Amino acid sequence: MIGVAANIHGALRTTLDIDVVYGRSPANIERLAAALGPYQPYLRGAPLGLPFTFDPATIERGLNFALTTTLGDIDLLGEVAGGGPFDQLLPYAESVELESRRCLVVSLEKLIALKRAAGPAKDREALAELEALLEERERGS
Amino acid sequence: MSGGPRGAALDPDPVTEVYKRDVDRTLLRENLRLTPPQRIEKVMSFMRSIEQLREAARRKR
Repeated sequence: MIGVAANIHGALRTTLDIDVVYGRSPANIERLAAALGPYQPYLRGAPLGLPFTFDPATIERGLNFALTTTLGDIDLLGEVAGGGPFDQLLPYAESVELESRRCLVVSLEKLIALKRAAGPAKDREALAELEALLEERERGS
Repeated sequence: MSGGPRGAALDPDPVTEVYKRDVDRTLLRENLRLTPPQRIEKVMSFMRSIEQLREAARRKR
């Protein structure tokens, strides 16, 4: 969410994973498992061979998952530090069309707030870029 | 992009303000002229170039 959403808003720093905040309703968990299942999701950094199955029961038992997939690394977040679950973030989402699909992306202002909530010392350079980006956008660059 | 509610006004953090001096705003302004899909394509194109360079370096070893 932070990295790719920041890119969508105009930030330049690249990231190698994508953060996805997902709704925890049973129907959505079913959809999530069905959508990602074909891409061999597995726990990132875990030893190979664990009995990990990415199915609705697993998703319901957990909350946040750092996954490797054949599509790339994906962090699935049932809840974001400082931002809460999907429903609480939804009012801060902006709709963007990518590859002919509508995607919800957290707003630049909320991204900055989340980054600050995570502890600004964690990544000052990224936070500084986001805040500069917001200033430039508000100036109408 | 459609908007959501704006966040509360952000109080400047003095340390982050120092870091902001080093941000190359010309690059940000250039990016702001692009659409969101163009921005993503630009990042992906950059990543593809990096991967090609890595591959070339691997072949040379």
